[in-house]
Amino acid sequence: MADVAHLPGVWEQIRLVAGLRWRILANNLRKKHNQWDLIGLIFAGIFGGLFVIGLCFAFYFGAYSFLSGGREAWMALLFWAIFLFWQLFPIFTAGFGVGFEFRTLLRFPLSLRAFYVIGLAYGLADFAAIASICWLAAMILGATVANPSVLPAMLFVAALFVLMNITLERMIGSWLERILARRRTREMFFALFILFAVSVQFINPLVQRYGRTAQPWVRQVIPFLSVFPPSLAGRAIAGAAQNHFTDTLLGVAGISAYMLVFSLLLWLRFATQYRGEELSESAAPVRAPVRPVSRIAGGADALRLLTPQVAAVLRKEFRYLTRNSFAFFLLIMPPVFVLLFTTQFAGKHPTATKHPVSVEFFFPAMMGYLMLILMAPAYNSFAYDGKGIQTYFTSPVSFREVFLGKNLLQLAMLAFELTLSMIAFSYLVGMPSLPLLLATLAAIIFNFTGQLVIANWSSLCFPRKLNFGQMRGQRQSGMAVLVSFGTQILLGGISAPILFMSRWTGDKWVPLEVFAFLAAAAIAGYSSSLEPLASLAEKKKETLIDALSR
Amino acid sequence: MTDAAIVTQKLTRRFGNLIAVDGVDLTVAAGQFFGFLGPNGAGKSTTIKMLTGLLAPSSGRAELLGLDFAAHPVEVKRQIGVVPEGMGLFERLTGAEYLQFVGRMYGLDRPTTQRRSEELLDFMQLSDRPKTLIADYSHGMQKKLALAAAVIHGPRILFLDEPFEGVDALAAGALKALLGRMTERGVTIFLTSHVLEIVERLCSHVAIIDKGRLVAQGSLEELRAGVAGEEGSKTTLEQIFLSIVGQDGGQRPQLEELSWLM
Repeated sequence: MADVAHLPGVWEQIRLVAGLRWRILANNLRKKHNQWDLIGLIFAGIFGGLFVIGLCFAFYFGAYSFLSGGREAWMALLFWAIFLFWQLFPIFTAGFGVGFEFRTLLRFPLSLRAFYVIGLAYGLADFAAIASICWLAAMILGATVANPSVLPAMLFVAALFVLMNITLERMIGSWLERILARRRTREMFFALFILFAVSVQFINPLVQRYGRTAQPWVRQVIPFLSVFPPSLAGRAIAGAAQNHFTDTLLGVAGISAYMLVFSLLLWLRFATQYRGEELSESAAPVRAPVRPVSRIAGGADALRLLTPQVAAVLRKEFRYLTRNSFAFFLLIMPPVFVLLFTTQFAGKHPTATKHPVSVEFFFPAMMGYLMLILMAPAYNSFAYDGKGIQTYFTSPVSFREVFLGKNLLQLAMLAFELTLSMIAFSYLVGMPSLPLLLATLAAIIFNFTGQLVIANWSSLCFPRKLNFGQMRGQRQSGMAVLVSFGTQILLGGISAPILFMSRWTGDKWVPLEVFAFLAAAAIAGYSSSLEPLASLAEKKKETLIDALSR
Repeated sequence: MTDAAIVTQKLTRRFGNLIAVDGVDLTVAAGQFFGFLGPNGAGKSTTIKMLTGLLAPSSGRAELLGLDFAAHPVEVKRQIGVVPEGMGLFERLTGAEYLQFVGRMYGLDRPTTQRRSEELLDFMQLSDRPKTLIADYSHGMQKKLALAAAVIHGPRILFLDEPFEGVDALAAGALKALLGRMTERGVTIFLTSHVLEIVERLCSHVAIIDKGRLVAQGSLEELRAGVAGEEGSKTTLEQIFLSIVGQDGGQRPQLEELSWLM
């Protein structure tokens, strides 16, 4: 018989959960490697605070000017801004990592009511909620200064609006938790997110091109927005300011109805969680079918020119790349960037500047920029290996083979991406002169090989584990980023003046000759770096295993 | 000693001020099923890591199959198989892909690797979901796969760190049979486990490490002889272990302090 005298009340349980979350954060920062994160957290806190306070002024003046200037109906705009931020910001940050799992509290003796209330309170401990409440407070202040008689309505509507938003946000959050619990859906979520991020880049060119023709359509849609909670909140405040209390009552009733529906749905969702919901991905074991004869691989090995070990690493790296939705979808970025930049700075597109950048300058600059993006992962090339790194150390291979396999995939990826980008480039802008094209290609070989030497060294010295399908907390090591930037600035700094040497010397082929020499030297340097790097890997194995097997 | 599979001399590993393994002298004969025991934090996994190339010793040396590990790491690794503490799997490969990767890393040709992979997957009952990634395997399935990967190249010494943890009884039985057959064929098995019944049933020789120091080593009979049991009854390995490791009574939890539970 358990000797529990009495169960703690809901508020005591909320206090305990808040304390637990604080301890998790504090203990996490006590770890040596996380102490740099504290500095990052402080900076993020400062910037976050400035963002919230800055917008508080905007909401204050917005509410003040709308009510004092006779534009009461425009208050809905402010409610819409808060509503969208409150609901969308958590969605964009939800999948970026697994935080504290609220559902784990179910192991304790909580009633469903307590679980529901704690769930709602949990929604308040969120940046979007805190920021939104601050902005609502600023709105109340601005509205009251402009028209003191709206204070009671503002307070009541704001309270309802907060409750409605928390309920909706928790409802969406609990569904997201279910959806993102599965690796595959999580990765699809990231794919959609990246596609969204890419699409946003085209808003400006699209608005420039189709903005005018879309205006009538937008005007037709706007009236339908009046039935949504932010418009209803705006209507309630406008009604209070203009003494049209029917509007106020209708607005309040509308928000209340939304809140009741969301509460009911959230209650049902939490009740499902409370009863016990299995989110794990492992399916039940299935009896193995009888397979009489094992199939033996036939045909020649496509990678037979490589040693078995290098071929094995190359195959494994390729599989990892295709299964890492985040990294894989990043591969669409280079051609997209070519498309984007050509629509802005060069080429035949109507949105391009009237004075387009010369192709002789634009082509090498574009290739240099793409190199910058494509080479970044090489500086932490064991990031996704995780515990598998131990296999490299227990296998009878030198890290020379491991690096060769990894670097060959990097080479193949770079060659594919740059070829694709060059095809897009030649279609959109046209190709540069032959001497510059060849000089740029030689410069790419020099930069690529030179960077690989440093990137391999950085991967051994500053490893940081990254998880598939996660973005939050998935930062590279600060030193790896520094080394990456330093190397790219150095090699870019060497390459830029060489590329434009022909302007000073008058000989168009000089840059190609210089880069051909540098590329040959870089290849020789790369080749001779592999053995020392293999020895270094042996010395750094504990750091590597420790960093990647966490 | 020419038929020794594993010999360590003054093997030591320090982590700052902490001496995790303190001058361990160990000898394991070829073909022995050897159990390496110790309480939590005693230095078992650290010793295995040093014997398999995952951790460099601070001092001392390890010789495997007559080869100095530090001098011939690749040649030694070619002849050993390892199931390390965290299993060390590439979790974004399927089971078959991982076995083929490991086989090729050990230099097996493709058809041999393919054939052995399929046979091992069948034996471990992992062949029913060929497209499932290791990340989606249960703990027990991952353990079985790690075991399969450790034997794919036919090692002469097999290092197993808690090999039966999380493995179902059916698979555990098959694995024990497999390991037994391997020792009959001269393979040396070096095993750590907290389940003393398993060690007692499988191992012919045992060493016990405590606080980084080797405190006992020998055959089960030799260890039994050193411990006085109740007259007429056979001393169990658990009794031997407790009598050696728990000699200072301070280590034993005092049940009297938990009177509120009883």
